[in-house]
Amino acid sequence: MANVVAYHRPSSVDSALQLLTRFGVSSRVLGGGTGLIGGGGHGDPFEAVDLQDTGLGGISVGDSRATLGATVTLEQLSRHADLPYAVRDAARRELPSTLRTLATLGGTICAGESESEFLATLLVHDPVVEIHGVDGRRELPMPQVWAEPHHLAGRVITAISIATDGVTRSDRTARTPADRPIVAAVARRADDGRVRLALSGVAPRPTLVGDPSGVRPVGDFRGTAAYRRDLAITLAARVIGALQ
Amino acid sequence: MSTSISIILNGAPTAAVCEPYEVLRTVLRRLGCFSVKFGSDSGETGAGAVLLDGQLVSSDVVLAVAADGHEVMTLEGFSQMREDLDPIQAAFIAVGAFQSGFSAGAMILAAKALLDRNPSPTEMEIRDALSGVLDRETAYVKVVEAVQRAAAMRRGDAQEPFGPLILPPLTDGVHAVAYDPNPTAKGVSAAVPRLIPSRDVPAMAVVGKPEIKVDALKVARGNPAFVDDIELRGMLFAKVLRSPHAHARILDIDDSAAVNLPGVHAVKHYKNTPRVMYASGGQSWPNPYPYDQVSFDNKVRHVGDRVAAVAAETPEIAAAACRLIKVTYEVLPFILDERLAMEPGAPVIHDESDAVEIHDASRNIVHHIHAQTVTDANLADAFAGADHIFEQHFRVHQVQQVPIEPHIAIAWLDEDERLTIRTSTQVPFHARRMVAPLLGLTVKDIRVIKPRIGGGFGAKQEMLIEDIVGHLALATKRPVRLELSREEEFVSSRTRHPQTITYRTGVKNDGTLTAQEFTIIGNTGPYGTHGFTVQNVTGLRGLSSYNCPAKKFDCKVVYTNIPVPGAYRGYGAPQAEFALEAHMEDIAIALGREVIDFKRQNWVKVGDKLDIVMFLGERGTIEPDDVDPATFPPVMTSGIEECVAQGQRAIGWHRREDPTWVAPPDRPHIRRGIGFAFCMHGTAIPFLDMGGCAIKMNDDGSFNVTAGAADLGTGADTVLAQIAAEVLGVPISDIIMYTGDTDMTPFDVGAYASSTTYISGMATKKAAEVVRQKIKERAARILGVDQPCSIELRDRRAWAPDGTSISLEDIGLNSLHTEDHEQIMGSGSYVSADCPPPFAAQFVELEVDIQTGQVTVIKLVMAVDCGVAINPITASGQIEGGMFQALGYAHTEEFAFDSNGRMINSEIGPYWIYRSDDAPATEVFLVQTMEDSGPFGAKAVAEIPKDGVAPAMRNAILHCTGVAINELPFTPERVYNALRSASIS
Repeated sequence: MANVVAYHRPSSVDSALQLLTRFGVSSRVLGGGTGLIGGGGHGDPFEAVDLQDTGLGGISVGDSRATLGATVTLEQLSRHADLPYAVRDAARRELPSTLRTLATLGGTICAGESESEFLATLLVHDPVVEIHGVDGRRELPMPQVWAEPHHLAGRVITAISIATDGVTRSDRTARTPADRPIVAAVARRADDGRVRLALSGVAPRPTLVGDPSGVRPVGDFRGTAAYRRDLAITLAARVIGALQ
Repeated sequence: MSTSISIILNGAPTAAVCEPYEVLRTVLRRLGCFSVKFGSDSGETGAGAVLLDGQLVSSDVVLAVAADGHEVMTLEGFSQMREDLDPIQAAFIAVGAFQSGFSAGAMILAAKALLDRNPSPTEMEIRDALSGVLDRETAYVKVVEAVQRAAAMRRGDAQEPFGPLILPPLTDGVHAVAYDPNPTAKGVSAAVPRLIPSRDVPAMAVVGKPEIKVDALKVARGNPAFVDDIELRGMLFAKVLRSPHAHARILDIDDSAAVNLPGVHAVKHYKNTPRVMYASGGQSWPNPYPYDQVSFDNKVRHVGDRVAAVAAETPEIAAAACRLIKVTYEVLPFILDERLAMEPGAPVIHDESDAVEIHDASRNIVHHIHAQTVTDANLADAFAGADHIFEQHFRVHQVQQVPIEPHIAIAWLDEDERLTIRTSTQVPFHARRMVAPLLGLTVKDIRVIKPRIGGGFGAKQEMLIEDIVGHLALATKRPVRLELSREEEFVSSRTRHPQTITYRTGVKNDGTLTAQEFTIIGNTGPYGTHGFTVQNVTGLRGLSSYNCPAKKFDCKVVYTNIPVPGAYRGYGAPQAEFALEAHMEDIAIALGREVIDFKRQNWVKVGDKLDIVMFLGERGTIEPDDVDPATFPPVMTSGIEECVAQGQRAIGWHRREDPTWVAPPDRPHIRRGIGFAFCMHGTAIPFLDMGGCAIKMNDDGSFNVTAGAADLGTGADTVLAQIAAEVLGVPISDIIMYTGDTDMTPFDVGAYASSTTYISGMATKKAAEVVRQKIKERAARILGVDQPCSIELRDRRAWAPDGTSISLEDIGLNSLHTEDHEQIMGSGSYVSADCPPPFAAQFVELEVDIQTGQVTVIKLVMAVDCGVAINPITASGQIEGGMFQALGYAHTEEFAFDSNGRMINSEIGPYWIYRSDDAPATEVFLVQTMEDSGPFGAKAVAEIPKDGVAPAMRNAILHCTGVAINELPFTPERVYNALRSASIS
């Protein structure tokens, strides 16, 4: 059970930021709750700042990029016909029907789970994360948000924009078709011809890679480091090949 | 700080007060919505799914305060008028989609959310919509069928009644036939069982019919039927402090801070609890040795072992109190691998002086089981007479039952100060008998109630937590509730025994077996519990299926520090049959024989003697010279040839020989394989499993049937009702079932060993026959007939030979109110001298990605001879669900440990059980035979589906890759490594 000692539902991002930056108060952003509440644990007490009323639930799709609000759920992404199929399908695959209706885009990015094929899919779509703090607004590439987590301290992800052009291919190895992939590979060839390749399950976060043989995974009971590296090479070759 | 919230609950404005940490599930249940179930705090089981503003969400992960201002719908939101079922509820009932129905609310709401936005979904869309609601009991196939039918009903499309597809036999019932590649049931829904009738089975009115389950309505409504669905004033909540160490001595416990925490009412541990040795396995008296457990010990033997238990005003206070208990441990070396447990220097797991009947505690050997049908000298001669000797080694792993409803028990003292325990158990009578001495009570001081339970699969064939709630209820004089978390369910309930297996077989050039030696090391974890009997069954199953004149079984059951193995559906057979069917497959290939043909040459047939049966059993082993071969039980019925013929056609067996199918040119990294396994199981434990039943007639001609049997969601209550109805000449709707209550029903050993239909069913039949005789006698008097035996009961009436009749209602009124006053009632009990084996043919089609090792299962086909299926819908549901569990065993499920012996995948996701959206296709055949020893010809069906998937899958991988893998499960890396090793070699 999550150790929630107080609950707030601010009506704006500014109000949320005020709650999150109170001195001496441990506050955490509440998205859909699949990680923060469902993750359980008997950690330190905190106050939950629920973003459901902050107006961050919009999706707008332009000619070459789409902007996705931070509280958009994976279910909403999976059903939005104007988004690239690869993004919709990866959103559907990410969680089962009872949880992806809750899990938010912002929460999923914050969690940054290594084996998330959805995040690997976002990575090849040139994701830019919009972050608001009391000190203003900033936009950062998603890998930088993970690499420099201080950008999120006392701040809120408000949106993410992704490229919508090009062709995307993916492949994965898992115990079963619906299981979380041990390793997944996603490749996208943009309309300008550039190719991005992302892998999940081979680094602490899903990662863009050039040469998959250079990955240095950490193994676990579902796949040793050596096996994950072999999968990375095999699956990367397949998805790159499929783009041809 | 408490907060008030307002929600629209099932259409009505509703206010509630909640704490900020409370999740929506907790508050909804407090508001009386008992259809919202606990399966896990992570929301992964989906048992707590509700509609939040029309979206399906796991209420386990939604803070109640976050739902403030929103609309919430639970199953209770559907109309509660009896005749007014929603089409979704009606469809789920019609096709038998529910087994226990623990997650019924979530499933129905998932269907509603889908159909509200998509009136005509595809099968994949339905499977996706159900993907968050795990079902450990079905294979989802009937659930998908229910949603499809509900969609059709909502569209106004006409629907045919749901029932089996009757197929003509392909064989004469005895002999094999040439393989015919034409499929038999093209275009028929996978949810429909294919039934191949036997001419030996007489026509019946109720038995053999696809009757609606007697408990379907309450499940579809979400009525409060499960253990936790009651409210008791002043109830306390229990939590258990568990060991963080795999092996440690408890030097001291200081509970003072916990005891003094406000709201705490009792803390129990080794220093304040009587030390009474026992074995926790739910088995007949006297429980098999060893007695190596106490309620609370001064030693812990696995991570998750009990240390102490607390009863407090709230679960949160109880948990906080557990954290305040100071335990001083002396951490000891531990061991997980059964192969190392007997080595010199291995840590001694049971060094206490008061454990009873451990074979060799100093070497961690709990039992040494041996059985042989011939002397050692004759065995050696038999091997010497073989042209070939094959020896192979296998390793099978640890998995868990994972019932979606975790263990839960509530205990209280009733108005007579007797202890009542309402518990999720398969063995209410065993639990009562076994818990009594631990609590210092006698059996008559205790009442155990088994209400509806949300799956068990053997995990609940155990007296697991009843003593804890008993101790705490007696200490506090208050009701006490204990529910295990999902992690506790993994690490502290029960699992399947890992084993290391060796087969050694002598074979003649013509394929005849001359000798077979079966050696295993069984890993029973830190406690004996079912260790003796499970390994006995492994020996039994491993040496029963094939004729061989000289057999030997040798088994050491050893202690380790893994979470405790126990009973798990199949009970030792899946381990044996994996190794046996792999071994026989490889022998066939080595001899250049077609695999089914070679197995057929050797498998047991009608009239063959099951010799090893006499040397192994729950009561111990017997030496060869002490048994008269004339007493070996023969196989009386077998439909295996029909099973094979039907299964081969359904799977498309001929494709095995098509190289372009096996290696599709357009998918160069894919290989496609088909595998087969011959399956044979048992039906109950002869001379031991016993069931009782009592029936009384009511004023309106209906009948109350009370039985000790424990329906786990299997449909046992329905099957027993059908048997009673058949005898009494009434529809099943005139039978009112009540089962599993030690005060109110006759004795029954409980739900295990595939015994309920056969044993409890026969008891019900006998009781009904007593009642029938009394009805006939009264009807004869009323109708003026001299010979009561000439009276027939049918269509709710008693008929004289001349065509005159009287209704059963009139007979009931006559007997209770008018003349020769008598309560027409009868009882019956049954124990069997026989153990008729069901047979089955299991087929698996799969794909192997030879570059990654990923195996994708495409289709499971099982054709089962279970005698006469009393209810073909519930029987096929058992087969579908059993195959699915077996698929998890073969493919994905596996306990993984860190270097400290702690399980690292004790959550649903990392552990992984198959979901609706990655389920392979299934097809089930019911091949009738008439087993005269069973009620209306029935044999067992519940466990045999667990036996064949792993070996058939292994053999399919072997077929398409040429690589034999003798260790489970077939996870991608294991297959990848095997393929790579084969490639290198």
